[in-house]
Amino acid sequence: MFSPTAIPKFLAVAWLLPLLGFAVEIFAGRWQRDRKDRTAAGLAVACIATGFVCSALALFTWGIHTGWAALAPSAHGEGHHGESHSAAHDAGHDEHAKADDHGHDAEHAKAESNDEAHADHAITGPLTGTFYTLARFGSLQLSIDFYIDSLTLVMFTMVTFIATCIHLFATGYMSEELTDDYVDHQVHTRNGGHFHRPGRFYRFFAFLSLFCFSMLGLVIAGNIFMVFVFWELVGVCSYFLIGFYVERKSASTAANKAFIMNRVGDFGFLIGLMVLWTYFGTFSFGAYNPEATGYGIASGLKVEAPHEGEEAAPTVATGLFGMARGSDGQLRIDQDVDGVATVVMTQADDTDLLDAEGNHRMIPYVLLTIAGLGIFAGCIGKSAQFPLQTWLPDAMEGPTPVSALVHSATMVAAGVYLAARFYPMFTHEVLLTIAYIGCITAFVAATIAIVATDIKKVLAYSTISQLGYMMLGIGVGGWGAGLFHLITHAFFKSLMFLASGSVIYGCHHEQEMPKMGGLWRKMPITAFTMLAGVIAIAGLAIPGTPIAFSGFHSKDAIVANALAFTYANPSHFLLFVVPLVTAGITAFYMFRLWFYTFAGKPRDHHVYDHCHESPRVMTTPLIVLAVLAAGCAIGGEEGPLYKLITFSQPAGVDAMDPPPAVAQTTLPGHEAVHAVHSQAGMYALIAAFLGTGIAWLVYGKGVLDPADVKRQLSSLHTFLSEKWQFDTLYDVMFVRPVHVVSSWCTAFDRVVIDGFLHFLSRLTIKVAHVDRRFDEGVVDGFVNLMADSTYSVGRSFRVLQTGKLRQYVMFIAVSVVFLFVLVFAFFPRGSSTSAPEADVKVSSRVVPRPEVNRD
Amino acid sequence: MDPLTLLTAIIFLPAAGALALVAFDRKAEETMRYFALAITAATFMLTLFLWREFDSAKSEMQLVVNLPWIRQWNVNYYLGVDGISMPLILLTSLICLLSMMASWSIKKQVQGYLMLFLILETGILGVFLSLDFFLFYVFWEVMLLPMYFLIGIWGGPRKEYAAIKFFLYTLAGGVLMLIALLMFYFNSGRSFDLLHLAAIGQGKVEGFAFNPTVQIIAFILLFIGFAIKLPAFPVHTWLPDAHVEAPTPISMILAGILLKLGGYGIIRIAFPLCPFGAQYAAYALVLIGAVSIIYGAFAAMAQTDFKRLVAYSSVSHMGYVLLGMAVWKINEANGAAVGRDYWLMGMNGAMFQMLAHGISSAGMFFMVGVIYDRVHHRDLNKFGGLMQLMPDYSGLAVGIFFAGLGLPGLCGFIGEIFVVLSTWNYSKTLAIVAASGVILTAGYILWTIQRVYLGPEYKGPHAEDITPMNGREKAIAWTLLIFAIVLGVYPEMMFKVMRSSMDALIVSLDAGYQAVSAAVETAQK
Amino acid sequence: MAGVDLTAYLLVGAVLFVCGIVCMATKRNGIGVLMGVELVLNGANVNFVAFSRYTSLGLDGQMMSLFVIVLAAAEAAIALAIALNFYNNHQTIDVDRGSELQG
Repeated sequence: MFSPTAIPKFLAVAWLLPLLGFAVEIFAGRWQRDRKDRTAAGLAVACIATGFVCSALALFTWGIHTGWAALAPSAHGEGHHGESHSAAHDAGHDEHAKADDHGHDAEHAKAESNDEAHADHAITGPLTGTFYTLARFGSLQLSIDFYIDSLTLVMFTMVTFIATCIHLFATGYMSEELTDDYVDHQVHTRNGGHFHRPGRFYRFFAFLSLFCFSMLGLVIAGNIFMVFVFWELVGVCSYFLIGFYVERKSASTAANKAFIMNRVGDFGFLIGLMVLWTYFGTFSFGAYNPEATGYGIASGLKVEAPHEGEEAAPTVATGLFGMARGSDGQLRIDQDVDGVATVVMTQADDTDLLDAEGNHRMIPYVLLTIAGLGIFAGCIGKSAQFPLQTWLPDAMEGPTPVSALVHSATMVAAGVYLAARFYPMFTHEVLLTIAYIGCITAFVAATIAIVATDIKKVLAYSTISQLGYMMLGIGVGGWGAGLFHLITHAFFKSLMFLASGSVIYGCHHEQEMPKMGGLWRKMPITAFTMLAGVIAIAGLAIPGTPIAFSGFHSKDAIVANALAFTYANPSHFLLFVVPLVTAGITAFYMFRLWFYTFAGKPRDHHVYDHCHESPRVMTTPLIVLAVLAAGCAIGGEEGPLYKLITFSQPAGVDAMDPPPAVAQTTLPGHEAVHAVHSQAGMYALIAAFLGTGIAWLVYGKGVLDPADVKRQLSSLHTFLSEKWQFDTLYDVMFVRPVHVVSSWCTAFDRVVIDGFLHFLSRLTIKVAHVDRRFDEGVVDGFVNLMADSTYSVGRSFRVLQTGKLRQYVMFIAVSVVFLFVLVFAFFPRGSSTSAPEADVKVSSRVVPRPEVNRD
Repeated sequence: MDPLTLLTAIIFLPAAGALALVAFDRKAEETMRYFALAITAATFMLTLFLWREFDSAKSEMQLVVNLPWIRQWNVNYYLGVDGISMPLILLTSLICLLSMMASWSIKKQVQGYLMLFLILETGILGVFLSLDFFLFYVFWEVMLLPMYFLIGIWGGPRKEYAAIKFFLYTLAGGVLMLIALLMFYFNSGRSFDLLHLAAIGQGKVEGFAFNPTVQIIAFILLFIGFAIKLPAFPVHTWLPDAHVEAPTPISMILAGILLKLGGYGIIRIAFPLCPFGAQYAAYALVLIGAVSIIYGAFAAMAQTDFKRLVAYSSVSHMGYVLLGMAVWKINEANGAAVGRDYWLMGMNGAMFQMLAHGISSAGMFFMVGVIYDRVHHRDLNKFGGLMQLMPDYSGLAVGIFFAGLGLPGLCGFIGEIFVVLSTWNYSKTLAIVAASGVILTAGYILWTIQRVYLGPEYKGPHAEDITPMNGREKAIAWTLLIFAIVLGVYPEMMFKVMRSSMDALIVSLDAGYQAVSAAVETAQK
Repeated sequence: MAGVDLTAYLLVGAVLFVCGIVCMATKRNGIGVLMGVELVLNGANVNFVAFSRYTSLGLDGQMMSLFVIVLAAAEAAIALAIALNFYNNHQTIDVDRGSELQG
């Protein structure tokens, strides 16, 4: 039908359409007739729905060209073994079967097709390639790539589908904004009134579209740099959407908090990027074409050996995954000259990678771990994991559809997605960290959810908790389990958020559960769809039958992995115990929410009387999502969803041998997980039923008054409702110090640097003063002295100038006499005086005196 | 058009315009404004024409003009363009054009203002185009005086202080440069030819050499001179004062172009003429760059004056420029660069960061100016709610501020990320320090946006004067935002101009360092 | 005239000279002073002529004395004019009354 090369194009269309939508919608304020115009919403829905169609088409095309190998009945028995294990067992033999392998892409460019079974299937591995090159420096290249495997396709389909539902829902939910004079009852102006503003319907949809674009870019990303780019864009969209009610201080603060917390994570991400970039010299996940400038597919397609006269296949370089791990999925640990453990990089054909001088290229094991931790720090920020979880509950300031899309189904899932996508680069230490972070997060968030009373906050904490589960699953080696939960969670959490949105809409923006109760009579569709979500997240099932909601399957898979991991590494038993307990707590607080809101008697009659079921445009998405929340995981680990996901599982995930030099933990193999599966499922189910039962007893039946319990455990209650004091702690630890340091910096500028300059300038002025005095006193003084003395000498001679003629004559006479005396008394004779006299020929008789002198 | 005419026209057209302004009647302000705008627009067109003539595949100097000027001293009227100066020339003429458009807010002594403005533009373009060190120095100083008067006459309340501070700082830098200039002149057999001097510095000329001591001293002198302009910590304190007091269009030029002269000087003169000195001081440069990033960001966070905040953000952003240029790691054994491609990336990133910062900071200052023209104050705590009152303005401002924040898809991101990514190869610690800037930058920019644009209502004085942007203001803001987006999405537009020159520069610096250090070793034996 | 030699002439000249000086120094009448000047000049003339006659000075001495006579005549004319003016201004020719040139 479509050729495999159409797949990236389909996804690109699905990816770029929302961007186009954004570009048009953001100016809708100009081209729309008035603020009551719904065109922008229609456009947004059309874009994302078309995106969904394209994604589905891409998935379908991909299925055709892989011969639906992922879903083949043998796919489990053999697909699992044959596709991931056989890679480990007989690497280099069964080239094409290990379709999930990342290290062999280039090989396909050269290798003859030697596998009859797959000969007619054109797609042999992840499709990788380049859309567009951003910049190139020597051998370094940064580009917008794609990396398409079944995980990408599933994520694309899921994101576009849920986004379509949420967009639809939002056209109803946001309809209050369709006015020229929106009154915001939460904002008070100085003159005591409420805040009025024009509606911002179109702007909401513009940002939703931009968000979808960013999220899809993140999913399709073929290199970690591109992930980072869209990671940030997702962050900024989240910023805009959380702060949608810009006039609310709490909203803008929450938006800032979300963005900055994410940036803290991104700081780690950046460090990870730097390490990878420096040591690997590429960001690309899979094989890439280093010469690519425009659109091109580098690998993933079966390439026939070039015939005579045909152009050879493009040169293909090994990507990150292939460099870090061989085709057996193991790190090549070695010692460098100093005895430090290093990881040797490999090429596609499993030979070692050499640099220009012929040395082995390697990266110290520690740095690979740091890189992994850094990237995971980004995931912590984005997925609101401990210790950066505090932004997510505050992010509930945004409109509810935003919470549903951004903060449950997609953006926060991005962290988990990246952790899974980047799995091959994680060392055992990183995985263990991931597991523990997930474990702590799951528990902490669940405990806070117990005491939260805001319906959206409960859901927010449950999101954090469930994300912790996913991280835990990935950390203990349950790659497929974590992602499985990601998908199922996306469905039921978006459902629950939308349902809560429907409640909030129906109750005229009342979010406090203590004011609700008995609402199921007023809004049955909302109540029962919500119940489906609650059952799903609680992980309930009927024991002994395959009847189970999606959450059961996925959570079961995670718990099974955790149990197997605990068996393999008994010292890490907490990784099993805590999630099990959390599973019980989850069931408890979710049913608490449902009973509190929908069951029992109305507690606030004002709210109850005015509430109403939502319009059809909002309930339809609820019903669709409820069906999917219940059934998307049908078949569990034998079902199509799980198989599709695990088709992309990195080689060697199941049984990653502990690296000899740094062994700490052993990851359980698939068999080990399988062996404990039923046991784990039973434990999980017991916990879930326990939680549900308690919730029913307390909130449904009322055997125990929650208020009493609250009084009994008031300190614990305060501690929990203060969210474990994280906000206070961060305020003291980071926010205030930053402000203090920044004021220091300013003061340093003002006092020290400028102070020094001012000191210099004052010093210069001082020196100038001294200089002036020197000039005036010494230099000018000397000159003046000379002048003065000359003057005074002149003055003293004035006395002689009497003006009396006779006196002058006397002076002349006396002076002449004096001169005579002088001349004749002191210079009577001398050569100088004799010489002129010799000229005068004086006769001896007339002038006797010379005669006398000559004697 | 032959290079002589073209380059001379680019440099001296604004100055000619300034002369022509004398002929206007003092009262014909509007006519004079349009005339000056036409001059800057024509200059911009000429630079676009220059870009068309420019062949980015060539790495050497192009469109070279070399005429004797002062024969006795061997000073030449020596001009040329390469991939390093080309983007900056475009940036200069663009920002000058936009600032001229923003100059309608100047009401006092319009004639004098426009003349000084145009002379300033001549000075800047002259610096970017000259290849003769003496000529470079002359233009460098020519730039200084108009700026002094522009701040000192049309500035804010403390304009004299700011103008003198600016003048003295820059003059001090100029003097250091002059000393270095003379050092080169007398060590090179009396030459001011930058290319020839660079060849000597890189040990390519028989019979002449700048020995390591000369190189180190000259580099330090030049570096301090250029670091003042950049500005780098701790010689940055003229910047906040100058910006706060300068009128809006002058702030735009100051941040958008003048700061780039520091970076350009380092890359055009300090590095090529003394590669040995540059390598010797590389760690200090990276350190200063990293400290500037963090320090500027911290200081920005504590400001309550809107313009001062943006000024400190410039200090922070220009830190990346310094950082990117200096990530030159060598193999101690043979002096060859280690991971040269990373250095190349850092260099390119630094150049790009200059362009990006030229766009984003000019935009930020313009945005501050727009609101200042209306409400006549800049106290961050007395804004709020502008999103309601001036939606277009706020939207554009948020876009431009995000460009400054380094959001992907906007220009600031490319420069910052390229520089940061290339740093780890040089120093792990400093790379981490530099990377932590992303948190602080997000912190102060978002906080600013919150205080100014978000919130329910405007809290300060002159609320009644808040009117939507007029067409002229919108045109400026849109131009800047569009450039920010284009550069962010298609950085290759500039990278392809720079590529071959940058490659050649890196290669010659690397070889130059090796040549000089080899000569030193031979001498020691 | 045999007994008369240079010394006698010089003596006469000296006496004339001294008389002139004394006259200049003692006379308060401007005309008197003028007469003293004439005496001094003529004393000098006597010396010139005597040297001309008795030494190898030749006619130079007589030339000089002629000059001096001419000079004296001119001087007398100017001096008399000054004296007249002085009289016009001061109603007297007492030189002691004229002290405008006092410093």
